[in-house]
Amino acid sequence: MLKKFTSRSRIVLAALLTLLAIVCLTGCGGTKPAPQEGAAQGKEKVFVYGTTAYGPEMSDAGLNPHDSYSGWSAVRYGVGETLFKFNDAMEPVPWLATKFERLDDYTLKIYLRDNVTFTSGRKLDGAAVKECLDDLLAKHDRAPKDLQIKEIKAEGQTVTITSKAKVPALLNYLSDPYGAIIDMKAGVSKDKNVAGTGPFVAQKVGDKEITLVKNKNYWGGTVKMDKVIVRTITDGDTLTMALQSGEIDATQGLPYASLALFQDKVKYNISSVDTSRSFFAALNFSTPALQDIRVRKAIAMGIDKDGFTKVLLKGNGTPAVGAFPASFAFGDKAVKAPGYDPEGAKKLLAEAGWKDTNGDGFVDKYGQNLTIRWLTYPGRKELPLLAESVQATLKSIGIDVKVNSTANHRDFLKRGEWDIYASALVTAPTGDPAYFFTATTLASSVNNRGKYHSDNLEALAQQMAAAFDPAQRAQLAVQMQQQILDDAAFIFASHLKMSFVMKKNVTGFVAHPSDYYEITADLDKV
Amino acid sequence: MPSLTVKKRLRLFEILAAAVLLTAVFAASLAPFDPSVQNLQQALQGPSLQHLLGTDNYGRDLLSRVILGARTSVLATLGLVGLISLTGTCVGACCGYVGGKLDASLMRVSDVFLAFPGLVFAIAVAGVWGGGVLNAVLALAAISWPKYARLVRGQVLVQKEQEYVQAAKLDGAGWLRILTLFILPNVVNTVLITAILDFGTMLMEIAGLSFLGLGAQPPTPEWGSMMSGGRSLIQTSPWTILAPGGAIFLTVGIFNLLGDTLRDYLDPQQKSKEE
Repeated sequence: MLKKFTSRSRIVLAALLTLLAIVCLTGCGGTKPAPQEGAAQGKEKVFVYGTTAYGPEMSDAGLNPHDSYSGWSAVRYGVGETLFKFNDAMEPVPWLATKFERLDDYTLKIYLRDNVTFTSGRKLDGAAVKECLDDLLAKHDRAPKDLQIKEIKAEGQTVTITSKAKVPALLNYLSDPYGAIIDMKAGVSKDKNVAGTGPFVAQKVGDKEITLVKNKNYWGGTVKMDKVIVRTITDGDTLTMALQSGEIDATQGLPYASLALFQDKVKYNISSVDTSRSFFAALNFSTPALQDIRVRKAIAMGIDKDGFTKVLLKGNGTPAVGAFPASFAFGDKAVKAPGYDPEGAKKLLAEAGWKDTNGDGFVDKYGQNLTIRWLTYPGRKELPLLAESVQATLKSIGIDVKVNSTANHRDFLKRGEWDIYASALVTAPTGDPAYFFTATTLASSVNNRGKYHSDNLEALAQQMAAAFDPAQRAQLAVQMQQQILDDAAFIFASHLKMSFVMKKNVTGFVAHPSDYYEITADLDKV
Repeated sequence: MPSLTVKKRLRLFEILAAAVLLTAVFAASLAPFDPSVQNLQQALQGPSLQHLLGTDNYGRDLLSRVILGARTSVLATLGLVGLISLTGTCVGACCGYVGGKLDASLMRVSDVFLAFPGLVFAIAVAGVWGGGVLNAVLALAAISWPKYARLVRGQVLVQKEQEYVQAAKLDGAGWLRILTLFILPNVVNTVLITAILDFGTMLMEIAGLSFLGLGAQPPTPEWGSMMSGGRSLIQTSPWTILAPGGAIFLTVGIFNLLGDTLRDYLDPQQKSKEE
């Protein structure tokens, strides 16, 4: 019987090992390698790009710039172009435009390139731009409020925009991907395809994949790649293995832990850049405990931003002070916020009357523990890491953090079932500071979910709305950030460093601080 | 008299299963470190004398988390198996003994549940109710009880025709007394073996839900969620996924072998062969 037992164990062990081997081999194989047609054979050059950033979950499915964030996809994947684009310093410079003229505080005249045609074959002129901007204002959710356009006049290769109010950042807003110019006569197809002016034409548009072919008549020069396939791969580990196995040529959105696997410079290239995408927490002023500024400050002092950025993000970011990275004139170097100071945080809590009277490790007041419902979502992989890190560091100062990381976070926001909401936002998508404040911190802001209000901030925002001088706008942005930091209304944890990882033979694929321009005419495989 | 070898095997697996259960019960005392305390300077350390199973990306001791994870994973599984076997047994016994419309209606309900793919249904339920171990257990319980109901109903249908049941009826015993005192003791062995064999499956299903983010929530250590957390580190720090994965592998193996051996031990045909 002992013999039988032993042999049975061996059979079980052998079966398990076989199964393990099959699973491992299945995981390693079975993927279709990226098409290898390259310059060497003189055949079609195909570039397969795997990304986590495209699809309905990101609100950017399709290529219609007048729909939610789909303009990002149009500009990112080389289909659409805006009148102005951002340079590396995030300043707007002409793109489809050649120059502009400010006729007065309310009127801007834009001169257009004369050599641009849409992929539909129509020539780009003032009338085409007016049609496109009129449709944008009629259909888009954010653009009308940003642009404040009263009237657009088209004449030959010029358009003249008259604003309802002073819009000092109008050029910046026109550089937002929603401002991508498309041929409205060609319209928007059922599959959300459009005729733009970019180096690529979309052949097939789906929620998970876009197939692009080169625009042979591109105004900006010869397009080097014949075909581009943009493929959504939301799982970071699948993305990692897809690049390792050669199924894709390049990727964006790899888990930080995976970047170490692509350090071999003989096989891969990495292009990294600091962006204004910030991970930050908004505090809910409806929560009684958070109405006490000492508690809010204690929470801010109880978050280890350095540890989060250096260890959990593996250095792929910078610890944040305010809303903008240090590369901006109004960035982190210009503002101050309390650093990680658990002892100081404990003192503040004690001053506010929160003490651990029952020895359960959490501070309490009137018999109630200080419990914080930390709401976040897993769509940005950094956010659950931040939540778990905060949970541990705040526990050390006596705050009980209940993490709710759910894709359903918007419902919880609507129902008010949260105390702190951590999210990711590109705080300066137009290179100008106004967007962050108007979208997030003012009484009228759509995303001011915690109902924060500061009279001083509102007054500064009004001044910014009328200030055209960039230096003055920067100064105001510093004061406004300092106000929200002094009020501990928002806590900024980290600014993201974005990395593109690609095979060694890929060239012309460079990460840009704006996070907009990915597939360009320069993209090539050598 | 059963074979000594079967008995020895049974004893061995009983001891191992008891060790797993005791680890789960006394997890807090056994863990060498606080499993929720982060030490980012110690993040992703490989196995060493200080940290026998290494540390995770938050610098937490993995051995301590695996031990504490046993409490969540094993006790939740124990609760789940207890819940479904009790519920299923009660339903099956009533249906089998009473019969008629009650039997027909409850069995149609169980047919509906049996028609669903178990884990998919549990994902849907846990998705609606939200994450958490309790919700995961309830979601799996909702789909898993019919198996026991069917099993017990079949057994009761056979047993209730036996002469000893007829004798009890003639003696004036009520249906409840007959079921609990005479029929169920003859059914309980089958239920017990099935429950032990189910333990591994249920543990993996709870771990599966946690792996998908629908079970235990951070910072509660649970083997499935620990595997999920270590997934992106499998190529660079494999111990983060091997430690909880190994714990699941061992526990499932022990309970499966225990159930298998117990069936051998209680099976009269097996006994006669071995004799």
